[in-house]
This record gives sequence, C-alpha cells and structure tokens, in this order.
Amino acid sequence: MGDDAAGPVVIDRLAQRLSPSVALVESVGDATHLLETWRDAGLAVVVDAVVSGRVAGSIHRIDGRQGFPSAWRSASTHLVGLAEAIDLGDAVGVLPGALVIYGIEINRVEPGVGLSAAIDRAVDEVADSIVQMCEAYA
Amino acid sequence: MTNAREISVEYLARVEGEGSMRVKVVDDKIEDVEFSIFEPPRFFEAFLRGRPYTDAPDITARICGICPIAYQMSSVHAMEDAFDITVDGSLRELRRLIYCGEWIESHVLHVYLLHAPDFLGYESGIHMAADHREVVERGLRLKKAGNDIVSLLGGREIHPINVRVGGFYRTPTKKELQALVPELEWAKDAALETIKWTAGFTFPAADLDFEFVSVCHPDEYPFNEGNIASNKGIDVPVSQFNEFFTEEHVERSNALHSRVRGRGAYHVGPLARYAINFEKLTPLAQRAALDAGLEPVCNNPFKSIVVRSVETLYAIEEALRIIDAYEEPAEPYVPCTPKAGVGHGATEAPRGMLYHQYRLHDDGRIADAQITPPTAQNQLTIESDLRFVLEQHLDLPDPELSWVLEQSIRNYDPCISCATHFLDLTVERV
Repeated sequence: MGDDAAGPVVIDRLAQRLSPSVALVESVGDATHLLETWRDAGLAVVVDAVVSGRVAGSIHRIDGRQGFPSAWRSASTHLVGLAEAIDLGDAVGVLPGALVIYGIEINRVEPGVGLSAAIDRAVDEVADSIVQMCEAYA
Repeated sequence: MTNAREISVEYLARVEGEGSMRVKVVDDKIEDVEFSIFEPPRFFEAFLRGRPYTDAPDITARICGICPIAYQMSSVHAMEDAFDITVDGSLRELRRLIYCGEWIESHVLHVYLLHAPDFLGYESGIHMAADHREVVERGLRLKKAGNDIVSLLGGREIHPINVRVGGFYRTPTKKELQALVPELEWAKDAALETIKWTAGFTFPAADLDFEFVSVCHPDEYPFNEGNIASNKGIDVPVSQFNEFFTEEHVERSNALHSRVRGRGAYHVGPLARYAINFEKLTPLAQRAALDAGLEPVCNNPFKSIVVRSVETLYAIEEALRIIDAYEEPAEPYVPCTPKAGVGHGATEAPRGMLYHQYRLHDDGRIADAQITPPTAQNQLTIESDLRFVLEQHLDLPDPELSWVLEQSIRNYDPCISCATHFLDLTVERV
C-alpha cells in the first residue's frame, strides 16, 4: 500500500504504546463491523486516509458525535461505511461515549511503496495525540 | 386541451450508483419511460486485456463492494473452463459457502436499509431505524453474520483476497468454520423473522409475464454451477450465452441493454432463481415461503423483498450444512496450466446471473473479456415495470406516483456501478 495505509500504520505504531485494555482493530470500514467494534466503548478513535483537496499530511480531527462531513461520505449505498455507521449508531443508540475521527490527507495511492514523508510525519503526530487522549481518558 | 405530466427523478435514492428516471404522460397516454444510467463508464473489460489470468478475480472484484464474490466466482469458473480443470469436493463446497456469506450480507442490506423503508413510508433506513430500533439491529446483526463468512473465507469483507483460480490461497480449519455456527444458528431464526416481517408489508398488485433466466443445476439451488435456463424454454450450457442473449448500447445510458435474441427483455435475480429452482430450496425455506403467502412462482416484483428474505434463510441453512460436513482439503487449490482458448462462467450474484467470458493467449494473458452483470440485464425489464406501474397508478398525484415508480426500480436492488462498463466508447467531435 501507499499513503492510503495511514490508518493501519497508526495502529502499528500504537501497538507497544497503549495499555492492553485498549483494543487496536484494523477495519475495512464496513458499518456493521464498526458498530460491533465500538459497541459498549467509552472512547473510540477512528483513523483513516482522506482526500478532500487539502495539502497532503494535513490532519483533520472531528467529533464523530457532532456529525460527519458530507464531503467524506461514500457515493455508494452498497458501501455502508463510517458515515452510515455513525448515522445508524445514533439512530439505534449504540454510539460509543466519545467518538474521535482523524483524517490524514493524502494525494498518492500506489501499491507497495510505503508512506511519503509528509504522511509519515502526520501518522506520528496522530499516534502521539491518541496516546495522550487515552492517558487522559484513563 | 393537452394534459401533460412529466415525472423526472434526476438522481435515484437508495440504489447503488448513479441512475435517473423520466416518464412522460400526455392526456393519460404514456409517451415515454426511461430508466437511465449516467454513472461514468468504468472500462474494466478494456483494462483486463494483457493482464495474466490470475489477476481476473482480484481486478473484477473491484467492480463492486457488495458483490465482489460474484465477480471472483464468475471469473475463476471462466478461467477453469478455459483450462479444462474441475474444482470439486471440499473446495467446491467452500465456494458455495463464501457465496452464502455474500448473499446474506447483500440481501439483508437491501431488505433492511434500502427497500423496507419504501413499504413503511420512510425516506431512508436511518429514518426507519429511529422508530424500529430492534428490527434494524436484527438486520445489522444478520448482515454481520454474512460478513463474517466472507471475511473468514475471503480474507476480508470487502474485495476479498483469498480467492484464486483453482480454489483458495488458504483454506480454513474445521475449528475456524465451527466458530461461525452459534451466530448462524441465531441468524436462521432471525431470517425466519425477516420473512414474516416482510410478508406483512402491503404490496402493490402486479402479475407480470416475465421471462425469468437463471443458472440451473439438477440438484441444488444455484450459486456457481449449472446450465442457463429460462421459464420459456431456454436450457443451454453457459458457453452458449451469446447465442441466446445479446447486448446493445442505448444512447441515453452508460450500461448496455440485454435481450433474449429474437424476443426481448428478460429478468434475472431472486424472483428468477426462485421460479426456476423452487423445489431445490430446503424444506424449511419452501415452507416459510408458502407460509409468507408466496407461491412457487412469484410474478409480482414488489414481493422480491420477501423472496430475498427466503433466499437469506436458504443461504444460512446451506452455510450450516456445509460447515457441518466440512473436511479440510489436502490442498487449497487445484493447479492449472494456462493455454490459449475461451472460457465461460455464469454464477448467481445476489442480484442475478453474472456472465464472464475470457479469450486467453497461450501464456494465460487475457486477450479479451466480456462481463455481463445482472443489473445491465434487467434494465429493459425495469423500464417495462415502470410502464406497468404508470398504467396502474396514473390517478396518483405526482409525489406519490414518483414514490411507487422509484420503489419499482428498487425491487431489482440495482447495482449501477456493476452495470457501467463496456469496451467501446466512440467520441465524435463536430
């Protein structure tokens, strides 16, 4: 994977830094998997690569319980993803207590080349933020 | 004085992909009915050319996020047909099992989130969820049961990576499969509840004369193998697909329109499979269908939601049967030697028969590809249904008429992204 591996790489870099009570889960983003993963969680953090036109390496951070940017929504009703997971979770009452979403802006997707420098820095920054957040939550 | 009505929906909701509908009525006479697909062409058939045969399942899986297994299965069967190899025993059963998973997740998504809102008067599944929380939770849990099968056998839920020509890269242990059983046992009861729930909806009356077409196997409800059969006399090997069916490009649509040669529109999907293969459903599924008010043949496309629910039950029962009988195969795949030739594969995607044909060079590289998805095959039937619905409901005000017209398109659970790829695009600049 290229820069679109930003999410899984964050997980890799968190692996040795968080308490065992924190579950690190790689997801393809299917709504049913997300809802099941964060059910009963006090805090859930989602990290993914995004493309919205901003400079590569920019970091978006949103409160998932306050709404999901329409520009990030999938165009397909058959891909029931993060946006739908939030909407459905809200409708049926299974959103986590707190939901933080990080989007790392990318502009390059090539198989097998690793992360570009800007994305590599952004991944570290997001990982540091998540560590601080989890420590504060604990 | 002329009374003209035109109902135009520029962007259909709760269907996958970009489609539109336009109908025009003048003095109570239907002048025009169009179901158009404006999703841009995707050219999969073109960029498969020159690729090794081993790439076909992985590339074609990207055509669709909800039915990737269908593309993988049709492609591997076509390649195996070209190379004269047979996949049987446990590998064959695992292929049926992964297809069960896809049917469950696809059918349940459509039933609960895309189609049920029509019958209950909701704008979307999200709006419906607010009032029917437990029902939607049941649907989400059912979908996950299907996802888990695909994830275990395919490596992941979306665009699986474990399917290859000859079988799989890795096969599961008996223990891994048995871990799915408790949730599938719950899912069986949930599917029965789904049938009862959908059977209670109010359905517009319709008894249409369809030519149903599906894969037909002598012994089993079809997934991967069998002839191509219709309720009007067709019963031919898959290799004769192009002798009986033809595709044409209509200017206003980016997806090809299909016809039975010498006849016209035909209908693929759950109603077609059900009509042609009813007796091969399990006794429980047959009983549940009849108790739901269905007959062995259903000609009302609005009741497709009930038939999808019955097929969901069948897929769950079939998954449990396969898991119970499973013996780990000695090897995860049957080896093959590529050679020049032509191969054909037709398997039953959730939405209907999906046909692949590949012409191969002697080193196994793809020379040509033809991919005919179910939604493209159903386009003319969808338009015919729209005409019928218009005739029946002209007395309705435009907003209500538009609702039932859109509902009739959603009867087919169209996957427009699957439908929009064809090989030749001519651009004429004047």
